[in-house]
Amino acid sequence: MTAITDQAFLSYRDDERRAGIIKFVVTLLFIGFGFWSVEFLNIPIERLLGMFGRLGYMISENLFPPEMSYVMEQRVLDSIIETIQMSILGATIGTLITLPLAWFAAWNVTPSRAFLYPLARGIIVITRGMPTLMWAMVLVAIFGFGPFAGMLALVKETIGFAGKLMAESVESIDMKRVEAIRATGANDFDILFFAVIPQVWANWIGIIIYNWDAQLRNSTILGFVGAGGMGLYLREQISILEYHTAMAIIVVIIGLVVLSETVSHYLRRRLY
Amino acid sequence: MTDMVVTGNPLRDPKKIARKYFAVALFAVLVIYIADTIIIEGTDWERMGSLEEVVKTMLFFLPDFSFFPQTVVPLLETVLIAFWGTALAVVFSMPIAYLAARNITPLPWLTYPLGRCMIVLSRSTHEIIFALIYISALGLGPLPGILALASRSLGFMAKTTSEAIENVKKGPIEAMEAVGANRTTIFFFGVMPQIFPIFVGNAIFQLDINIRRASILGLVGGGGIGLMFAEVMQNLQYDRAGMIVVGITAMVVFGEFVSNRVRQRLV
Repeated sequence: MTAITDQAFLSYRDDERRAGIIKFVVTLLFIGFGFWSVEFLNIPIERLLGMFGRLGYMISENLFPPEMSYVMEQRVLDSIIETIQMSILGATIGTLITLPLAWFAAWNVTPSRAFLYPLARGIIVITRGMPTLMWAMVLVAIFGFGPFAGMLALVKETIGFAGKLMAESVESIDMKRVEAIRATGANDFDILFFAVIPQVWANWIGIIIYNWDAQLRNSTILGFVGAGGMGLYLREQISILEYHTAMAIIVVIIGLVVLSETVSHYLRRRLY
Repeated sequence: MTDMVVTGNPLRDPKKIARKYFAVALFAVLVIYIADTIIIEGTDWERMGSLEEVVKTMLFFLPDFSFFPQTVVPLLETVLIAFWGTALAVVFSMPIAYLAARNITPLPWLTYPLGRCMIVLSRSTHEIIFALIYISALGLGPLPGILALASRSLGFMAKTTSEAIENVKKGPIEAMEAVGANRTTIFFFGVMPQIFPIFVGNAIFQLDINIRRASILGLVGGGGIGLMFAEVMQNLQYDRAGMIVVGITAMVVFGEFVSNRVRQRLV
């Protein structure tokens, strides 16, 4: 009897000891990794310590109070409207492209698993992977400054963002209805219109509205690279160190985002 | 009984259908108007030139793969910035989640709105804006980039964690209360074990997203691959820019793949 309990105790103690050693080694490795990355990234640690004073000074002296009268100037107001317009147009065109892609990229109902599925998946994955701002810079180089390039960047972003969500919602549908309709001899289009869309429609509408909200968020920044919208004035004001007016634009951006979130929340609640 | 007969399908109420079509028509008119202002009036088609010229410019972006070795170090830097940004966000999201969870917040009338406000502010501000503020206070380099990513991720982490805390099972907590545990003990031994898997899953998800965010921070001076991208774009070395875009896309797609795999294992 005692031998068994002794053995149990000993193996327990061994386990504890082993876990302790593993924990110690992992902690050590983590600390080593921390030091190495500080070294690798050339992070000035001494600057970090004095950061809070400077950040506090920056916020209290330079950023506040925001000079809201700057936003009331005609050109800035125009750029704010342009931002909203860009987001609506980009999200709409992007959604129109995404609708068939989401159908192709859903494994369970895709019309062609050999060709269209990998193609649509590939497009969605690659558009998701590219950072919007870089894509916008490339588009500006091709199409010139202005909201057109920004709109195309938002179209790309919509395909990656809404495409994935929509395809996932198609993949989670109830397949019994699809089978029932297929049993009557329906083709792929019949299945799409009578089995898939009725099941995912409410979900898709929600995704479309959420996507617009996300695109408005993105479009506020696109102007940074000259792709239209209010980001241009933000960059301009910061580069000439006019922090009070820059802060006014940031306040407008945050206001727009909160507004769009409220609108999208309200619309989604009403439509469900 | 006769007065309970339903007259007509309520889903096919003509008034509702008319309203729906009116809304759709209104939206269509709005989109056409915007398309007119942006695509036709707001674009300088003269400067863009013919279709041939546009295609020619596009071909400049064909990636120059011999440039790849020079992008490895900035790409690694980007991943490290994303990692440390996420790590900071994970650490600092805990106290905010503690404030913003309705069931454990210490002073519901004060700390709950405070925590929520911080979450909304962090979630609705673009990482570039955070980066600009930190850069103006700290100077250029990866450090403001890390802080910007941390500030941006903080909101998401705190939001999901506080929601997880709000949905914990009451059983273990009541059992601990019954044996006389105090609030801190309940938090660490009653709440934490329940939210831990969700928390780790979200942290990995944020790491994956932060890699994407970190790659553009360099455009405003936040370190990483974006800096190199801005440089080659300014020098009009479009083939190198194409290479960088391909490199980032590959890295992000790979990161997403790994993070999906790991999260599937966890759940």
